[in-house]
Amino acid sequence: MDNEKYLKEVLKSQTLSFDGPELAALQQHRADVENLLRDHFSESSPTIRYGGSKAKGTMIRDAYDLDIISYFPNDDTAAGVTLEDIYNNVRTALSKEYMVEQKPSALRIKGNSKENLGVDFHIDVVPGRYTDASKSDVFLYRSSGEKKRLKTNLDVHLNHIKNSGVTEAIRLMKLWRTRNGLSITHFALELLVIKLLKKRQSSSLTEQLEYVWKEMRDNIDNLSIEDPANPTGNDLSDLLSATIRSTLSYVAGTTLKGIEDSGWEAIFGEVEENEDNKTARLKVAASSVVKPTKPWLDYEKGMV
Amino acid sequence: MRKVWYKENPALLVEMKEEIKDDFPNLHFYESNGVIVVEGSFPIRHDKKSLDRYSIKITFLKDYPKSIPIVEEVGGRIPRTLDRHMNEKGEACLFLPEQRSEIWPIGSTFLEFLNCPVHNFFLGQSLVERGEAWPFGVWDHGVRGIRDYYVQLFGTEDMDIVIKFMLFIIAPKIKGHWPCPCGNGKRLRGCHFPFLLELRDKIPRNVAQRSLQFLLEAKSGKRKLKDNLI
Repeated sequence: MDNEKYLKEVLKSQTLSFDGPELAALQQHRADVENLLRDHFSESSPTIRYGGSKAKGTMIRDAYDLDIISYFPNDDTAAGVTLEDIYNNVRTALSKEYMVEQKPSALRIKGNSKENLGVDFHIDVVPGRYTDASKSDVFLYRSSGEKKRLKTNLDVHLNHIKNSGVTEAIRLMKLWRTRNGLSITHFALELLVIKLLKKRQSSSLTEQLEYVWKEMRDNIDNLSIEDPANPTGNDLSDLLSATIRSTLSYVAGTTLKGIEDSGWEAIFGEVEENEDNKTARLKVAASSVVKPTKPWLDYEKGMV
Repeated sequence: MRKVWYKENPALLVEMKEEIKDDFPNLHFYESNGVIVVEGSFPIRHDKKSLDRYSIKITFLKDYPKSIPIVEEVGGRIPRTLDRHMNEKGEACLFLPEQRSEIWPIGSTFLEFLNCPVHNFFLGQSLVERGEAWPFGVWDHGVRGIRDYYVQLFGTEDMDIVIKFMLFIIAPKIKGHWPCPCGNGKRLRGCHFPFLLELRDKIPRNVAQRSLQFLLEAKSGKRKLKDNLI
């Protein structure tokens, strides 16, 4: 299989089917979250929409997520007087049903029941307030960084990525990020890939990826990203911190070396099989284990 | 003050990176807050094919290789529940500490750690996620698992005898003329002496000491664990 065909097969294996269990679970959680927010903020009539990789067309099986944006009208104060109040009130509402992890502008929801404690539902709830009655731009609260307020626009973000002409490269770079445990956010990685490939939209996927990695390896300190919804107003420098830059550069270097030494399969692995027969294959794998081990659980280390 | 392991023995770290780079190219080493951390995607492979993957983080504490690396599932895929053998921090409990010398004795490689207990644990998770049983069984949680291990090891359910055996593992030294803890009236040298000498080599004293303390507390009712059955 040639390299281009291989990468297309990787992308195919990373595509979630519309009637698959992952998307069905996402839809169910989305409905539950929307009902919860509408009940809790019935006076405020928030606008609730999809964002994240599902809306951008950059979803991958290994790291799919869904942003549920919950924007309140500009003249509403029932959901909170300040942006921070809105963020905290949405967090409180979600905490009734979920374990909530605070992110700089979003709230990640996870399971809090006995059966699914800590399970990541791949859903970020993003609270915000429209800047005016046109319901276009929004202000988001930001819990970290110098500025506590971001001005942004969901549609500008979605269009910037959907119409970038490089969504396949973005999906593969997201897979690379996940496979290597990198801490750069999906948003920052998407912006970086789009910027680097601005003049290389017609290049092959192998050329696009190698170019991005070479830039990361050789030129990481000179790379920057801007928020397309507010290029001069939102400082995204903390999304590309010194630690993130050095890690990206290092892993990009090992990736290029891996391609040179062993080819593309060294980077994304063999194309993974679909779910059919996976249980049977896992059982075969278990039966061939030479030294079986049994797990235990130490109550003294955090489980009571 | 003693240096951390990777500063005292930098060659070991280089060796670890080198030995896993072909089989696990997506696992990367970082230094973070004075400890070494490995992060990335861990594949469950069979016949050179990847059947599943987990996002993991492995932390090598300052006293590595004496201590067992801490393995976490960081993708939020596995529930932090008793049945999945994950504590609420997302740390995996790969095996009973008593079994270390059988599974991954001190001096074994990092590659062996990945290919044995880590592989087996996540292979088990993939099967359990699909509604199957743990492929190699499980130890019961907490003190019950410890009790079961020693009951099997000493071949008796009599906890007084189990505890006597454990005291012989912990003792600074044991002598052949002492009465055997099995209670048959013989001297140690004519009974369980070789067995106990082997166990004293296999089970670290601090591990046996900790387990004994748990068993004694459970026996006396002082240990307020919900699974206190002894």
